[in-house]
Amino acid sequence: MGKKMLNFEEQCKILNLLKSSSEQKSIEEMLTEFFTNPKLRHFNVCYSLSLLLQDKMMLSSTERLVAFAILHRSYSSQKSAANPFISFLVNAACDEGAENYERAFILHLLGFGNSNSSKEFLKQSASEYIKKFDPSSQTFPQKEQLQKQYLEKAHPEPYACLLKSTAVKNVLADPDVPPGCDANSAEFDLEPGAKSKLGSGDRDEALSGLIANLSLEGLIPHWIRPLPPRFPVDEELVWLNPDNNHELQWDQGMCADTSRGAAVRDLIAKALRGPLAPNQQEQVLVELANDPKLVYHCGLTPRKLPELVESNPLIAVDVLIKLINSPEIAEYFTVLVNMDMSLHSMEVVNRLTTAVELPKEFVRTYITNCISSCENIKDKYMQNRLVRLVCVFLQSLIRNRIIDGKICLSKFKPSALSFQGLERQRVYLGC
Amino acid sequence: MDSRDSSSSSVPNRDGTAGDDDGVLSVTAALAKDAALYFQSRKFAECVDVLTQLKTKKEGDPKVLHNIAIAEFLRDGCSDPKKMLEVLNNIKKRSEELAHASEEQVESGSDVGNKVTSGSKESSSTTHQVSASHSASTIYTAEFDTSVISLNIAVIWFHLHEYAKALSVLEPLYKNIEPIDETTALHICLLLLDVVLASCDASKSADVLNYLEKAFGVGNVSQGDNGNILLQQSTNLVGKLSSVPSSSLVSDASTPDLAASVNASENPLSRTLSEDPLDEMFSTLDIAGQNLSRSADLTSPKELPRTRVDRSIFGVDLKLKLQLYKVRFLLLTRNIKLAKREVKHATNIARGRESSTALLLKAQLEYARGNHRKAIKLLMASTNRTDTAISSMFNNNLGCIYYKLGKYHTSAVFFSKALSNCSSLQKEKPLKLFTFSQDKSLHITYNCGLQYLACGKPIIAARCFQKASLIFYKRPLLWLRLAECCLMAVEKGLVEGSRPPSNRSEIRVDVIGKGRWRKLLIEDGISRSGLVDSVGKDDWALGGDEEPKLSLPLARQCLYNALHLLNCSDSSHLKCLLPSNSSLEENESSDGASSKNPNHKSLVGIDSKPSTLSVGLVNSNGDFKEPKAGTNQEMIHNSVAYFADICRKENQMMKQALLANLAYVELELENPLKALSAARSLLELPGCSRIYIFLGHVYAAEALCLLNKPKEAVEHLSIYLSGPNKVESPFSQEDCEQWLTEKPIDCEEPNGGGGGAATAAKNPSPEGMQEFMFLKPEEACGTLYANLAALYATQGELDRAHQFTTQALSLLPNSTEATMTAIYIDLVLGKSQEALSKLKRCSHVRFLSSNLQSNKSS
Repeated sequence: MGKKMLNFEEQCKILNLLKSSSEQKSIEEMLTEFFTNPKLRHFNVCYSLSLLLQDKMMLSSTERLVAFAILHRSYSSQKSAANPFISFLVNAACDEGAENYERAFILHLLGFGNSNSSKEFLKQSASEYIKKFDPSSQTFPQKEQLQKQYLEKAHPEPYACLLKSTAVKNVLADPDVPPGCDANSAEFDLEPGAKSKLGSGDRDEALSGLIANLSLEGLIPHWIRPLPPRFPVDEELVWLNPDNNHELQWDQGMCADTSRGAAVRDLIAKALRGPLAPNQQEQVLVELANDPKLVYHCGLTPRKLPELVESNPLIAVDVLIKLINSPEIAEYFTVLVNMDMSLHSMEVVNRLTTAVELPKEFVRTYITNCISSCENIKDKYMQNRLVRLVCVFLQSLIRNRIIDGKICLSKFKPSALSFQGLERQRVYLGC
Repeated sequence: MDSRDSSSSSVPNRDGTAGDDDGVLSVTAALAKDAALYFQSRKFAECVDVLTQLKTKKEGDPKVLHNIAIAEFLRDGCSDPKKMLEVLNNIKKRSEELAHASEEQVESGSDVGNKVTSGSKESSSTTHQVSASHSASTIYTAEFDTSVISLNIAVIWFHLHEYAKALSVLEPLYKNIEPIDETTALHICLLLLDVVLASCDASKSADVLNYLEKAFGVGNVSQGDNGNILLQQSTNLVGKLSSVPSSSLVSDASTPDLAASVNASENPLSRTLSEDPLDEMFSTLDIAGQNLSRSADLTSPKELPRTRVDRSIFGVDLKLKLQLYKVRFLLLTRNIKLAKREVKHATNIARGRESSTALLLKAQLEYARGNHRKAIKLLMASTNRTDTAISSMFNNNLGCIYYKLGKYHTSAVFFSKALSNCSSLQKEKPLKLFTFSQDKSLHITYNCGLQYLACGKPIIAARCFQKASLIFYKRPLLWLRLAECCLMAVEKGLVEGSRPPSNRSEIRVDVIGKGRWRKLLIEDGISRSGLVDSVGKDDWALGGDEEPKLSLPLARQCLYNALHLLNCSDSSHLKCLLPSNSSLEENESSDGASSKNPNHKSLVGIDSKPSTLSVGLVNSNGDFKEPKAGTNQEMIHNSVAYFADICRKENQMMKQALLANLAYVELELENPLKALSAARSLLELPGCSRIYIFLGHVYAAEALCLLNKPKEAVEHLSIYLSGPNKVESPFSQEDCEQWLTEKPIDCEEPNGGGGGAATAAKNPSPEGMQEFMFLKPEEACGTLYANLAALYATQGELDRAHQFTTQALSLLPNSTEATMTAIYIDLVLGKSQEALSKLKRCSHVRFLSSNLQSNKSS
């Protein structure tokens, strides 16, 4: 249900006002009486009256005058331009179809031309005003003139929504009279006491009905706002499957014997200092093989790896293979690739390549280090040996498809071509 | 169940070997052994007694405290898991402090090994490997190793459905799983798998699955009799290992390379004694070059089977279990075809003894394929319906099927049955930890919510979603559904301040006066003002008992939540983007894949992650010996990629829906600016469906109109103008169908062999369409005409407006909006008689006598 513009009290007030307009009370008196209630919502009252005034048939002439007076008085404490109904008043004053006394009354209200100083005319009753009205005494200005005078200083139109600002009155006359009859004819007015006939109606009833039901909103064009569709339910329903039961686990490590790795730990510590005897070496390998977790607890750290590689390359290989899944393996590789080039480190790398997948970057970096080591050796004999060694190493890598020979040698060429025997190696490698 | 059986059956084994060393067992070790035995036989009271004795001997030992806590918790019927978590966390903290202290000690020179002097050295080579592994492996773990405590903490979180929290505990363990002893590692992996599957994280699931298959040597189950081979392999291996100190641990008995590798490793041994290392090197390299053609077995590090674990865990049980995990994974990633294949393998492994899990998975498979009847048949075949937990799942799943069949009321019956199963499950005594996780009432409640929403009961649906939000609060979809509840409630007039639905869809006319004085006062029935004023404060707590007060502002809040969650999951990298795991992603996104190997930054290109590594390997070498393993991994890998794609698509769809809803809600709330920005974002989405493009334009145009920008508004609508006054259909019927079946069903070639599934999916069932309640294409045209008419009417272009409104009314004769616009235009044109006749012709007008109301004033 639309919002009603007027509350019950306001409705009564307006009805009483209109009813009393035909009495001999002065307009001023009526106005004063009307505005005694401070809770009156001026805008709503005025808007209702303006809607009623738009229908020329609805209100009697005296009622119309009083209604116009209300529209003016409600906002008379402010500048005329601030009156929201000022253009309505101006238009009514210029309405050629309206009675002249009505137009003159509005001009009086607006104080146009300062004619007979202010409020004197309000001291009479509405009917007196009409009776005493002399058409010749009044000149009617052009609409433009009035607009200029009263609207010019108007504030810019307050912000209003496009759809709403174009609203039209939502009241439609729908006279229910027999076909062919003039709906405006007074014959259909309900005579008091007379029997009601088809098409007759009581104006007062319609008036109070209208006043009770008027709403602020007029009729506006309507926009269709489609409701978005519901999102389709596809995989959204939860299908249930039995969970696997996960029990709380007993910690088997409680009071467990931790001495077992001690032997290997001792041997690894020894292996960092120098080569182990073959039987010791075997023991380490066997124990590591027997317990895949032992390698994590044998006391080796990346920092210690170079010593192990130099002293016991085989153990180093074994340990690294076992650590391949350890989160630390990258650190081990970093240490390995950065340690000094040596026969042992090369052997470790070579063996690793055949056993596990090494990161490509690691192999590449290692080869680069090998080559630069060859270049940097001063001793010719040692350099020769080292070049041969690197070549064999590379050959092995190529054969095992760890690296691509062509790519590798093309890298090798500019830096190490001068090395003795390299040409031979190239032929040998078949590249 | 399985794991408990296997672990208890492992007791005699472990025990048997321990018995050999009885002579050297200290008092504490003996007590520990007793306690463990009691624990395994579930005599928790006795166990606690023994542990209390032990405690006096090892004051403050975290492992003793831990076992006491566990035993007491189980003895007392798992009554307070939250408190248990607290206890375990405290012990863990203490253990870490002690470990820290002892580390410092080690660095200052003392030897860790000497700290515990409970036994003499024993030669490990004499110990029978397979059975000893269990106890042996723990020996070397640091005394203060916290992996078991952490595992147990995760177990409890898991049972409480707190998957994100469980994951946060498990992930660090998994990242450093290698040093952890086999049994614990296996438990960690299995639990992790359950957690990531439950949180729908496909890529992590794939990772763990791959790892499990390789590390525990139970992959390739698809080969059927593979188990035997594996067993053989490992026995061979054991034999070889005892005699040959070979560095190549893994070798296939059938590979001739074994000899070579033995050679290769023997040579250098002698080499160290040789005088000329260089020459020796040459020979070694030559040998290696000739013989060591890299075999597939040696290449992939993670393929080293963890052969040492108790065989009993590794039996058929684990194999079946893993196979079922794989099926779950494939179902999660919607790889239906492969799931079907793998379910068959699972049946083969199970050899007749059908587990209810397998049965439910099979039913789920058929459900996912759209074979609803078959799914029902399979569910009905389930024999294990006496088990309350199973029957609650059974009922829930039937509910899902009937929902999909469009029989919402039947599905409601089953869902409520499932819920009552749940509540009786909670009453069962004694309480087990498992009971907590078996309580799926919140999941079922979510399903109920969907069902109520489908039945048009938004308030009760919202209550369901609200309850389910306790576990699903990170799912954008949940919030979208709540918003939909709000919109539906508003639409139905169930929200305070909103009109009842009848009033929204009809024109109300007050008839005032009689006879000559009769006036018609048209009420602006469709005006939405009043809704905005009804905005209550949104003091609605998640999961609280308080009923959510459905309103448009709540809808807006929900939509923003969903968008936020969706954006979070989008921004998290390549990983799978399913809504539910956005929670995890949020936390993990920064330390995801890259930090799995935190040290790798030093060497670019190292990736020891199993999946990528081995897939690439097999491909490049081409000489793999286990083709099945290769395809297996590829399959998992592809599934993840495929699923990520699905998720991306779904998220895109959801984003469209969210933005459209948001634009709508903002319009309803009279915030045209926000509505406009939502509509614009909607239009900017890549791959936006034509339906939502249409909505985007209509909402944007209305918002612009409300912002007094009619020119721009016209631009949005005139996109659909093909002639001066002709609108073309903004979308087609196919667009609607496509929207419903956007998600492809079959992973591999969509039209190849998928058969029933593919076709079923392509043609949406009538039920599916019925659920999709939206404008028909011609109604959409009518909407455009009506809105163009309204727009031109406000512009004063009344002739054009009049033409549009005529077309609108011919397409939408019952639209109140179009009728009102038409009447408006007539009135502005001064054709009040035509307006009157339109009003009287319209079927959606209600004439009200004013007499009844004139005295009722507000």
